[in-house]
Amino acid sequence: MEAFEKTMSIYTLIPFLPLAASLILTLFGEQLQGKGQRLVIPAIALSFLLSIIAFLEVIANGPINVQLYQFLNVGKLVVDMGFFLDQLTVLLLLLVTGVSTVVQVYASRYMVGDPRHSRFFALTAMFTAAMTLLVMSSNLMMTFIFWELMGLCSYLLISHYAERPSAARAATKVFLVNSVADAGLLVGVVLTFLTFGTLDIQEILVIAKSGADVSDLPITLLTLCLFCGAVGKSAQMPAHVWLPFAMEAPTPVSALIHAATMVNAGPFLLVRLSPVIVLSPTAMTVITIVGAMTALFAAVVSLTQTDIKRTLAYSTISQLGFMVMLCGVGAFVAAIFHLIAHGFFKAFLFLSTGNALTATHRHLEHEEETPALARNGLFVGALIMSIVPVLVFFSGSYRHLWLSQSSSTAEIALWIVGLATIFFTAMYLFKSVTTIFRRGPTGAKDSEPLVSPDLFSARHVIGVAVIAAIMIALLITVWRWFAGFLSPAVGGAQSQLASEFSVWILLPLLVAVAGWIVAYVRFRRPRLQQTSVLKKRLYVFFLNKGYFDDIYEVFLVRPTLKLADWTWRKIDQGIIDKVIISLGTISTALAHRLGYLDAAIDKGVMSVGTGSTAIAHRLGYLDAIVDNRVTSVGSVSIGLARWLGRFVDTEGISKTVDGLGRSVDASGHAARRYEPHTLQHNLLVVVLWLVAALGFFYWIGG
Amino acid sequence: MDSLFTDHLLSLMIAMPFIGMVILAFLSDRKWVLTTTLVITLINTALAFFLWSQFDLTETGMQFVERHQWMPTFGIEYAVGVDGISLLLVLLTTFLPPLCVLGCWDSITTRLKAFMMLILLVEGAMLVVFTALDAFLFFMLWEVTMVPMYFMIVLWGGPNRVAAGLKYVLYSLTGSLLLLVGILGLSLQAGTFDIIQLADFSYSEKSEFWIFLALFLGFAIKLPMLPFHTWLPDAHSEAPTAGSVLLAGVLLKMGGYGLIRFCLPIFPEMAHSFAPAVLWLSVAGILYGGYMALAQEDLKRLVAYSSVSHMGFVTLGIFSFNNEGIEGAILQMMTHGLTTGAMFLIVGQLYDRTHSRNIADYGGLQQRMPRFVAILSLFAVASFGLPTTSNFIGEFLILVGVSYENFIFVVLAMGGIVLGAAYMLWMLQRVAFGQARTEAARQLTDLNFREMLTILPLAVAVVGIGVYPGPFLESMDASVTYVVERMAQH
Repeated sequence: MEAFEKTMSIYTLIPFLPLAASLILTLFGEQLQGKGQRLVIPAIALSFLLSIIAFLEVIANGPINVQLYQFLNVGKLVVDMGFFLDQLTVLLLLLVTGVSTVVQVYASRYMVGDPRHSRFFALTAMFTAAMTLLVMSSNLMMTFIFWELMGLCSYLLISHYAERPSAARAATKVFLVNSVADAGLLVGVVLTFLTFGTLDIQEILVIAKSGADVSDLPITLLTLCLFCGAVGKSAQMPAHVWLPFAMEAPTPVSALIHAATMVNAGPFLLVRLSPVIVLSPTAMTVITIVGAMTALFAAVVSLTQTDIKRTLAYSTISQLGFMVMLCGVGAFVAAIFHLIAHGFFKAFLFLSTGNALTATHRHLEHEEETPALARNGLFVGALIMSIVPVLVFFSGSYRHLWLSQSSSTAEIALWIVGLATIFFTAMYLFKSVTTIFRRGPTGAKDSEPLVSPDLFSARHVIGVAVIAAIMIALLITVWRWFAGFLSPAVGGAQSQLASEFSVWILLPLLVAVAGWIVAYVRFRRPRLQQTSVLKKRLYVFFLNKGYFDDIYEVFLVRPTLKLADWTWRKIDQGIIDKVIISLGTISTALAHRLGYLDAAIDKGVMSVGTGSTAIAHRLGYLDAIVDNRVTSVGSVSIGLARWLGRFVDTEGISKTVDGLGRSVDASGHAARRYEPHTLQHNLLVVVLWLVAALGFFYWIGG
Repeated sequence: MDSLFTDHLLSLMIAMPFIGMVILAFLSDRKWVLTTTLVITLINTALAFFLWSQFDLTETGMQFVERHQWMPTFGIEYAVGVDGISLLLVLLTTFLPPLCVLGCWDSITTRLKAFMMLILLVEGAMLVVFTALDAFLFFMLWEVTMVPMYFMIVLWGGPNRVAAGLKYVLYSLTGSLLLLVGILGLSLQAGTFDIIQLADFSYSEKSEFWIFLALFLGFAIKLPMLPFHTWLPDAHSEAPTAGSVLLAGVLLKMGGYGLIRFCLPIFPEMAHSFAPAVLWLSVAGILYGGYMALAQEDLKRLVAYSSVSHMGFVTLGIFSFNNEGIEGAILQMMTHGLTTGAMFLIVGQLYDRTHSRNIADYGGLQQRMPRFVAILSLFAVASFGLPTTSNFIGEFLILVGVSYENFIFVVLAMGGIVLGAAYMLWMLQRVAFGQARTEAARQLTDLNFREMLTILPLAVAVVGIGVYPGPFLESMDASVTYVVERMAQH
């Protein structure tokens, strides 16, 4: 790659501006309470401007490489902290910073009066920074670091309303599901290092593209491990359960998660490493199947959900499944195109949902009119959302899918899944958009139609049709340019990517229209008709989101906790600790046994003693005789002493000794005050002795 | 490095705490006692950073060496020095005590002077352990560290302190005894106590196995490895805050340090043949410790069991015998000292307010104590190795290191990280979020300035190393490379 080498660059500021804003807000949050947006919005807007500049420079000069500092250099592992901006990166930067700016502006009104205002803005800025760092990082380890940092930000944002137990539970759940997937990703990173001998993304891609003799097994394994991470972050089956829970966060955060940051990391990673992924057909097949299943399942589930935000969550899951499926079939450019389109429109949808909900809510309180702008906004967004997948088909990338799979059954299956997804997507979007204005916010569904949207008036239909036509035309033009622009940055055989029209356009388009019609018909007629048992069962199955949450709860979470508790009580306390304690008790028992022995010995000793006493008595007689002798010697001595006493000054000596005794006594009393009587004194004495001993031994040694 | 100051820098650092103890003996005012201890420990921290700044990164051997004859008849010397392996542990040893002093500023009400002296004694003894070049000196001060910790547990500990203290001493003594046997076995054959010369001697094949086993078990009990870990939760949970911090922060690291300093360079072949067993045991420890932590209802016990899990990573790294693994292990030891120390300080701050360590007694702390929750969250996520904290760097290096040996360990160890996330976040959910469950939890006040001051240096260190680990790894690189090359020759 003919990348510009730079040691320092203005583009470094793209992530660091939001990061700095976040840090300042974290440190001085209390002083800046309520003013966070004044710091964060300019920072992110400036990042957006810089992203545009970077985008233009990449168009003009190709990829840019920025080296910051050496992060690690241990053994064979060398990791540099640096940025790599190529076509893929700048596109995502535009999406991330652009959507983030809009969301922040929106949030500055939404969050007014929130007690954790500063915390919110600090975290959303950090969230944005982490995502930009993720897409810019030139090293897989760095990618992982920012990947996880984003997980942390989402965790903290979901627990924003921490006093709600549901928010707290949701945050934990989201992070845990992600951390299981991220464990897979980390294993994948280590495997990549083992396989390629480096973690530098460009070097890895060069090796992968050169077709060096990397054996098949580790490639498949490492691709699947990396994909495991993408499954987590991008909410693919079976890890999709976290995304609806992320709705506990304030609405702007949902917009960020769904449109700009978190979930886009998965397809990004797959596209970033596309030259590695295409080396393993097995992994590609797995990716396609997972993506397709997710797309279809989530589309059907979102059709049954009654909560608008949950509907949107499952629609995101479905769209992400679509992107992953596109990656799986090798249509990486189409995946990114879909990602960016989805990002912008989902942000739009979320913000207008927020507006609509607030507006309807206000209407209940103040009898105001629902702003037409918000209502129409949601509708247009929904329309475009359901057009985008169509467009991706239509733009020729789905033809690519057609070509890339050799097995014909797989082909047909993918086609069916793709079309079914489009059908359901069209249906649920139509349904949710219309019901929200029919019924008001969730929970108030029995109330009278609050607003009767003239969605089906001729004026409206024509307007929508015109907008759709313009959009389609615009998107085709963009797509033509887009495919050419992005293809150097992705792997696989991109030469097949033609952007001409084909007959196949009509099929998905027809399917989408069919979806709308079915939704319209169902919407017009009330729901509870006579339906078959199977249908009802299916409905209940999808209404409960395929029971994934319950299965995890019952078969995974509860048994794990129970087993942990059991192991702690039975194994740790019951066996390991008890063994140690019983060692102690056994020793004590042994000591008691030894005590008997001791007593016996004692007895023996005692009897020896009595024997000795008897002997001593016998000897006593002898003693008495000796005693007599001694006594007589004694009396002689005493006489001698008395005689001596008369000549020697006994009193003087006595006085001296007395004086000596007194002074000793006095000094003893004096010394007593310094005698160690507390623990610290004892310690002090120990230290002094230690020093003295050191000196003494040193002296001996010397 | 010719000046008198740098020549005696290590001895000065070792002497500082003992001098401090002497000064403390003459003080009686509470404020003065605390301030003096704080100043003494801070001076030592400054000296340690100075030591680091003067450290020669390219040198593989010992630096700042100071030798004096002590008992020449037995070939015992007072010999100290640092290399890349001990440098970071010396830094850690001097970094934590000032925070301990700050942390127990108000909470120690009885026999304060003695408590401060014990803190100083631990610091002094630990510094000798990490710098000793003489096996006898090493062993002697290894034993000394046990004494103040015992008194801390028994005199200032929780309700079950006597039993915990006894357990701690019994375990420690068993370990020490094995260690003594090992060290005597070494020096009887080699005829010297000099650690560097001990490594160059070739021991008889018969004795090699037993000496290695004795040393290894001695260190493993201290660390602690899986089957020897049950003293740790009791000792940690019953000890006062400062005791737990020092115990988890510094004392456990003696085990890991001993493994790198003694077991690896002296018996490379034995270490190689022991490696599979140790690696499996480490992985078992990682998973088991994490699993146990999941079942705990007591905050301190939870942190204690997480220590068992983290120490499993240390042995995992050490016994992969390569730069990545060993440097990761040393960094993991350091970083575990920081995060676990911080966790105990945090739990201590909570305990000071409510006198309860029970998770179920809290809840909803975020409303009353936002600062506290921010800090708690930081260290909770650091504890399970979230990237941008130092723990991640250590764990990642260890994973890379052990992946050269056998990839299965990477996969299994990842399970430990996931478990870590589970127990820490679950704890966070129950303590910090939701609604307060007891009246006491509703009355709490947020951290004051002193408490923030206690915990912020640790937060800065944890994030700092996580974002810019280069200098820390660089300073141990040369010495670790030396050990690794030694291992590779056999």
